[in-house]
Amino acid sequence: MTIAVSVEDKPDLGRMQRHRRARLQQAMADQGADALVLLSNSNVSYATGARWPLSDPGRANVQRPVAVVTAGDDLPHLFTTFGELGAPDLGLPDDHVHGPVYPEFDEGAESFARTVAELVPYGARVAVDELPGSLNRVRVLFSPDAEPSSADDVVGAAKLIKTPDELGFLRKALAITEQAIAPTQASLAPGMRQNELTARFLRTAFELGADANILDPIWQVMPASVADGPWTTHGDIACPLLTTERELEVGDVLWVDTGISYAGFASDFGRTWLVGTDPTPRQQAQFRAWSEIVEAVLAVTRAGATGADLTRAALSAHGRNRRPWMEHFYLGHGLGIESAEPPFIGTDLGDGYDERQVLAAGMVLVLEPLVWEDGAGGYRAEEVIAITEDAWIPLTDYPYDPYGH
Amino acid sequence: MATEVLADAQALREARRRRALAAMKEHDIDALLLGREANARYVAGAQRLWTAGTRPFGPGCVIVRATGAVHLVSTWDEGIPDDIPHDNLFGITWNPGNLLAWLKGIDGLAEARRIGTDSLTPRFARLLPKIFPSADLVDAEQALEAARRVKAPEEIDAIRTALAVAETALTAAVAELRPGVSEHHLAAVFMEAMAHQGVTTPATQQVAWIASSPGPRGHRRTAAARRDDLVAFDAGVVAGGYVGEVGRTWPSDPATVDATTRDLYRLADDLWDHLLEACRPGEPCSGLLAAYREVGQTPPPFPVATGLGLGFDVPVVTAQLPRTALHELLEPGMVLAVTAQVTGQEHRTVFHKEAVHITDNGSEVLTSAPHWTQ
Repeated sequence: MTIAVSVEDKPDLGRMQRHRRARLQQAMADQGADALVLLSNSNVSYATGARWPLSDPGRANVQRPVAVVTAGDDLPHLFTTFGELGAPDLGLPDDHVHGPVYPEFDEGAESFARTVAELVPYGARVAVDELPGSLNRVRVLFSPDAEPSSADDVVGAAKLIKTPDELGFLRKALAITEQAIAPTQASLAPGMRQNELTARFLRTAFELGADANILDPIWQVMPASVADGPWTTHGDIACPLLTTERELEVGDVLWVDTGISYAGFASDFGRTWLVGTDPTPRQQAQFRAWSEIVEAVLAVTRAGATGADLTRAALSAHGRNRRPWMEHFYLGHGLGIESAEPPFIGTDLGDGYDERQVLAAGMVLVLEPLVWEDGAGGYRAEEVIAITEDAWIPLTDYPYDPYGH
Repeated sequence: MATEVLADAQALREARRRRALAAMKEHDIDALLLGREANARYVAGAQRLWTAGTRPFGPGCVIVRATGAVHLVSTWDEGIPDDIPHDNLFGITWNPGNLLAWLKGIDGLAEARRIGTDSLTPRFARLLPKIFPSADLVDAEQALEAARRVKAPEEIDAIRTALAVAETALTAAVAELRPGVSEHHLAAVFMEAMAHQGVTTPATQQVAWIASSPGPRGHRRTAAARRDDLVAFDAGVVAGGYVGEVGRTWPSDPATVDATTRDLYRLADDLWDHLLEACRPGEPCSGLLAAYREVGQTPPPFPVATGLGLGFDVPVVTAQLPRTALHELLEPGMVLAVTAQVTGQEHRTVFHKEAVHITDNGSEVLTSAPHWTQ
């Protein structure tokens, strides 16, 4: 069956969760899981629709919402510090909304495991996404006969294809990011510090309704040559390097990378900026080369294409003996519930893996090729698209200033 | 924050690594495979990219007790202390096979009898025994908690630094409070003021909520604060890896504060006095829960106290873990974020959070941001 891919202008949480629940139940049936025990923030958010401002991971491990999904019960169980997540807005009946649990501690793990055992039929095949030691010790209470399988695989299969509502929320997350980036870029000037760019970006993003900052925003000053940058394991470019109070100077080439969360969706933004100057002819040529790589990749991007089709297009457009993307990352990655999620294309998983990644309508891809030659700072930017049956649609329209449009 | 990405100071690193190695010895653990950034930071002292929310477990940091050597997943050496040589760095990988091959090649790991992890996924629970067939795979969280629960003096200094940033940013947000203001705006001002101080990573991102409307503390709402609303601020930052948190509640318009609200603030002060009284070395953490009962309040559904450090440390004191609270004793050198929250009619809430350092004789309150006073 062919479904036209569309982006919902007025995404609806209730409808989105109905579709997700159907996808989750299907993925559970496909993978032989009778129940899911979900501890990771992104999996809980996917299964329940709950949204909350994500916290530092060292805090999020302790104080976290948890979800349990069982085969045949369309509705997930959510364990939460209640109102913190707006649980009553999620359309869950009272008997599916529970108080908070603390599976990180022996006492909490045991009482949670007993509750799971009540929700899950005896002998059910249980999948979990994480097993902290405390929960691992008592997992026999809810999974007596078998080692739990991977719930990440189940949720991963379900979330691979985005519904129109999901694409609508994601586009909103991307739009907030770009509306916050625009004044940040406009303020860019010699003498400004990296952390001041962060201040301006976060101020605007939160004013516009971002739920959370999901990564320490990157405004990396690129070195004149790879050799001038930090030592790396592969001898290639180091990126992303962290933000400090470093003062920006005329001519600095900045590789920008940031993202926020909104309604349970992660955004991603990447561009190259110049401080207080226009690009040199050499830098313009780098941007043109980058554009040609993107165009070549997009020309082969459609449902049915493989990841390897995309990497081949990028390599052939670049025409050099070097992969035009970051050696330790990828040419492209999925986006949505997490800031980098499957499909991954061009990673160290290898060409065979890329051959097996078949694009499908409704997948989201962030393409992030780069062009580098020592002496010009390089060009890197990110394109966010949704895959359709016969091509793709853009999810953003941020300009490439000062390099071009 | 400096103008360069720096590793944690040597004295801090050494103090922590000493404790980690001692805890490994105590718990008979030969090597640790660490996935959680807080634990990795604790033993390695390296700055890596901050991201929000839980992360899937993957062993990105290894310490071997026999050699004392730390091995780290990092593609570059910026922010990596010089006691972790280049040979001990391994580039970011997406391929579990490559990661396992790296682990297999780490000096001393193949000989380890007991290998501890700070969490697991079903996949790593299956894979790790295959590459370390002669080792017992054990839970290291208790060993790490034991190491991290009591702070070295250098860690207390780091927490003070984080608290100072949080309090300055909190003051900036409170200064914006007036009728008509939104939770979005208050959060935005907090984040901006935090980053202006050179700290670009928040610990909690709720920041502010209208604590006097019925209904939940939800995701940030667009509703504007009314004249008679109370607004709670929960301000947290991560500076140098350490979490600093402070909470306050301010009336939207002090002129509208009525006698009932004044009583609520007085009750919160009373609760705080009882909580502080419970913060003594040798006393069980359950004293903090008892403090709520002593003033006739039900403890909130979230923890009334959590250890502050690299993320949350033990003790985590909540009404959901009563036995844990009863058996866990406060010790000198712990730093706690202690919450005093009281709720009155129509869900009106006064929420205060202070950082408390347990000392040899009692406690020291590390937070000093102004309270609304009557």
